[in-house]
Amino acid sequence: MFLSALALAGLQAALARHLGGGAVTACLLAPLLVHLALTAGNVDGAVGAAAVGYVLDLVAGTPKGLMTFLAVAVFLATRLTGAAVEVRGRVGFALLSGAATLGLSVGAVALQRLVALPEAAPAWSLLPRLLAEAVVTGLLAPLLLLGLRRLDALLGEEEPGLIG
Amino acid sequence: MLALVKRYRELILVAVLLLFPLAVFFANAKKPGERSRFDRAVLTVTAPIEKVVAVVVTGTLQAWDGYVALRGAHQRAIETARQNRDLTLERQALLAERAENDRLRKLLGLAEAEPHRAYVGARVIGVRLAAAGLQIVTIDRGADDGLARAMPVVVAEGVVGRIHAAEGHSADVLLAVDRNSSIAARVERTRARANVRGLGRPDLARLDYALRSEDVIEGDLLVTSGTDGVFPPGLPVGRATRLQRASHGMFQEGWVVPTVDPTRIEEVLVITSAAGDPTQLPAALGPAVRP
Repeated sequence: MFLSALALAGLQAALARHLGGGAVTACLLAPLLVHLALTAGNVDGAVGAAAVGYVLDLVAGTPKGLMTFLAVAVFLATRLTGAAVEVRGRVGFALLSGAATLGLSVGAVALQRLVALPEAAPAWSLLPRLLAEAVVTGLLAPLLLLGLRRLDALLGEEEPGLIG
Repeated sequence: MLALVKRYRELILVAVLLLFPLAVFFANAKKPGERSRFDRAVLTVTAPIEKVVAVVVTGTLQAWDGYVALRGAHQRAIETARQNRDLTLERQALLAERAENDRLRKLLGLAEAEPHRAYVGARVIGVRLAAAGLQIVTIDRGADDGLARAMPVVVAEGVVGRIHAAEGHSADVLLAVDRNSSIAARVERTRARANVRGLGRPDLARLDYALRSEDVIEGDLLVTSGTDGVFPPGLPVGRATRLQRASHGMFQEGWVVPTVDPTRIEEVLVITSAAGDPTQLPAALGPAVRP
């Protein structure tokens, strides 16, 4: 999981250069969190989400712990949503990934506004960029889902709940 | 008690995973960017991935572009003449070469204009402009090439940012448009002082601490003043826009359009040594000469 997150972070940074030079970004690690929430168990999923959050903290340059906390929170929220409604299809996965991206970025902005100096705090005027990031991530999510399913098949992982 | 812990161990573990990072965040919130050895070790793993992906993506796009261009030229040749196709292709190649030459010549001109400065040229291999995080680009030169934290990064058009963290063969550049970036500047026309602070978006920054009485007008070029100890003086930062003078207060409000579009940079120069040239000072300000 940790290596997948690192690989996706590297892919995200390299792709951003070719997709508008970074003017519009995507958070490729958000679909990974959603995939974890829908397929992994409570404990290993939460640990995986924390690992993904740690990588997000590293690559986004946010204060330590911020994205780790948000990743686990998004994991739990997605898990609850997944238990309440049927979201296993591509469209559901894309919607959840977009929502997870928005949750991560809006949460990061809100928490940083709580503690940062006023002149260094991110402004809510960034909201259109956060929305655009969520939409782009949602659009790319089905492609990532294919890759993640193949990876799961390669590693021989079974979805909990299907057996036992 | 033990039975209770055993019963709720999943819940406890998840709560710890949720609350511990939150505590770490509140403890470290004021000092973003401080990386431990483990963090740096992890990041050195991502740099080669970025490099490999950059090579693969660039190669694929170039191959695709080349294929489409050749196919188009072939169809045109069938329709018109073989000579026409060859000339078109040749012209495209020359234009691409000329564009690259222009970019590199500008960078070379910048380097030659300030011979007392030492530069290291680098290519951008990764871009991280997530709105909620830092505005960062990754370049393919690092600590092993002599780069260190806080070194200024420039292109011919002006300031790009400063080195945020340098690993072995790569470095993260904190862009001038990041909200943690504040550059001491002067208005080139009037020498009025101000600060240019990033907003976390690539197309606009804020004009800070420009006295209300200072002569600043729309379109004025702001250059680095050199007083922040990071950027040498005279590098373009941006142009003043949407200036407002309120009827009260010490400072005027305004915005700055950066001279460098961070979404379009491909090659940069890192100023590794910016020792000033004393001969450029006016004689009256130069070092005193004793008879």
